[in-house]
Amino acid sequence: MDTLRICKQCRQPLPENAPEGLCPSCLAKIALGSEPAAPKTRIAPDPAELTPHFPQLEILELLGMGGMGMVYKARQPRLDRIVALKILPMDSAPHPSFAERFNREAKALAKLNHPGIVNIYDFGQAGQYYYFVMEYVDGMNLRQLLNNQPVNSRQALELVVQICTALQYAHDEGVVHRDIKPENILITRKGQVKIADFGLAKLLGAAPDTALTMSKAAMGTLNYMAPEQRENAQGVDHRADIYSLGVVFYEMLTGEVPMGRFEAPSKRVQVDVRLDEVVLRALEREPDRRYQHVSEIKTGVETITSTTPTAPVTPLAPPTRGGRESMAPGHTRPTTNTESSFSRTAIVGACFVPLSIIAAIAILAMAPPSIPTGAVALWQQEFRMGFGGVGLAAAFVTTILGWLAVGQIRQSAGTIHGTWLALFDGLLFPLLALDYGICFFVFQCGIALHFWTQDYDPTASAILIISSLVAWPVVDWLIIRAVWRATNKKGGNP
Amino acid sequence: MTISSSNPGGGRGSTGGTQFGQTHWSVVLSAAGHENPAQAAESLEKLCRLYWRPLYAFIRRQGESPHDAQDLTQEFFLRLVKKDYLNAVDQGKGRFRSFLLAALRHFLSNERDKARAQKRGGGVSPLPLDFDDAETHLGCQPADKITPETLFERHWATTLLEQALARLRQEYAALGREPLFEQLKATLTEARGSVPYSALAASLNLSEAAVKMAVHRLRQRYRECLRAEIAQTVATSAEIDDELRHVMGVFAK
Repeated sequence: MDTLRICKQCRQPLPENAPEGLCPSCLAKIALGSEPAAPKTRIAPDPAELTPHFPQLEILELLGMGGMGMVYKARQPRLDRIVALKILPMDSAPHPSFAERFNREAKALAKLNHPGIVNIYDFGQAGQYYYFVMEYVDGMNLRQLLNNQPVNSRQALELVVQICTALQYAHDEGVVHRDIKPENILITRKGQVKIADFGLAKLLGAAPDTALTMSKAAMGTLNYMAPEQRENAQGVDHRADIYSLGVVFYEMLTGEVPMGRFEAPSKRVQVDVRLDEVVLRALEREPDRRYQHVSEIKTGVETITSTTPTAPVTPLAPPTRGGRESMAPGHTRPTTNTESSFSRTAIVGACFVPLSIIAAIAILAMAPPSIPTGAVALWQQEFRMGFGGVGLAAAFVTTILGWLAVGQIRQSAGTIHGTWLALFDGLLFPLLALDYGICFFVFQCGIALHFWTQDYDPTASAILIISSLVAWPVVDWLIIRAVWRATNKKGGNP
Repeated sequence: MTISSSNPGGGRGSTGGTQFGQTHWSVVLSAAGHENPAQAAESLEKLCRLYWRPLYAFIRRQGESPHDAQDLTQEFFLRLVKKDYLNAVDQGKGRFRSFLLAALRHFLSNERDKARAQKRGGGVSPLPLDFDDAETHLGCQPADKITPETLFERHWATTLLEQALARLRQEYAALGREPLFEQLKATLTEARGSVPYSALAASLNLSEAAVKMAVHRLRQRYRECLRAEIAQTVATSAEIDDELRHVMGVFAK
């Protein structure tokens, strides 16, 4: 995976051919005599400082700040409800057209009403501040979740489906998010996704100064931007969101953002190979080659989950950390999700093993000390053939079920385990057949030796028997080890 | 420690930006009037060796395969050096950059009409250009909607910066102060307020005031070097500033 070098000054990615490793853009600015300015540092106003401007709110604490402004936890005393107060970056104020744009865009955003989108209760201008009063989300954002605990593929798929539903709703309403990234995807304690900062990138992007400082403050955003968005941030459509979602999806599965020539998720981690197609199509550079609607990603993911053996999913209860949008103290950290079920197919396969053993014992028990004759012999013959058939069939069924189980385990992306039993099942019949083959070969060797020497040589017979006894387990062991390694190498989860 | 502001060992072309004598491009232009064809060919070849990358990037962006683009670049330079195109140069007018791009466009449109199967180069040994290196850089270009022209301009500007920094390094090396350049080069792109003067002073074993002066001189000399490089590609000194603004403006696009 390529590492993205960033210019310390302008926070833009350094091109590969940067002369002397210096940012060409900054070098150009120096040459033109305009020194690159130090990045602006924005200071969040103190809650007490804001109080006079918001008489309707009790401002409690600063929850966090980012490129899109500062977020405070506040209380509406009359309704006795906790809300989030978002103050837009102040640099946006001096632009004369901003107030009008703000009103227009905010109205459109406030119309979005979906359980998967952070609701806007109110907006306006108070003194020098442009603000939104929003739904307070008691949980954490996806970035914090990813930093805290690995998200397994099952959880990732569940989150993606929820994000898709919310995004599709917004797109249907004609609103493009433009800044989908883990920081903007909030997750409540109950595991409900809430997308924040809808359309703010467009609103704030209109002010050139803000766009500049925004990219500095939130340089990570660049990784999630669609290629066409990097070129022309204003002229993009909903398919830019699809690309960004693809990046988030990839990151949830692999833990890294796709850069340069990146590998398919299943090449990096153990996930269903069918997910590659969904993720890679969302990440197509050309918007026309991507999914055209978010709902198609949802359908793709749901098709995969519906045909994968079900496993219990640990609800996404996020741990406590200084959350950006909202966090309440005292929440306990959940245990890491390691719940997965044992392969039922492997167990069913193993159930046939005793049948094989009983059949073998029965055959051996009926093996007569001398060759019988008459009706009894016929009867015994029939029984031995019957038991032999049942024993063989049972072993065969065990093997078939074993390999089925191996396949299911590999496709389950970690939700099913028990590779060792599946392999035991799968190898039972082939190994029995092989062992029988070895015995038969040694026996034939013994007969050949006897014929050749025209004499019974006890030493030679002993060597043959011992070598067969040694060859048996050694060959079995080698085969079992090779298959075990091959299965695990391909991404098995014992 | 102070850095001399004279040009101690650049050794290539003109000195700083203030003086404008004969430059590679002015020699080439005068050659269009048949004054000194041998010197003109040499100057042109020097320029071509420096500025082939933007052309190669342009051709590649037009959709040519690496192999075809390599052939086309070589063939274009051979034609150029053989003066096929020099006769078209309007003496006293134009810049090397715009001339080269116009000539390349003309060449490519002619070339497309011809059969591609014809072996290019006519057996003449081509210029030793490092296409593999150029291809590595092209591979890293974001495959978005950059036009071939913008790509050409960006590569052009980057080449200019490269040349200017190489010249600067050479000057410091000639004075035995390459380590100082190495330590200070990062300050070129830093805002004055964020240069860690005290840390640099400690590591260079100099006073803070001396480091401030050294940083100032480096910056000043860098500007002069860049202007000197640009001067090589324009006909008159009056065009330097305009060309500087134009070329460096591509990064703002």
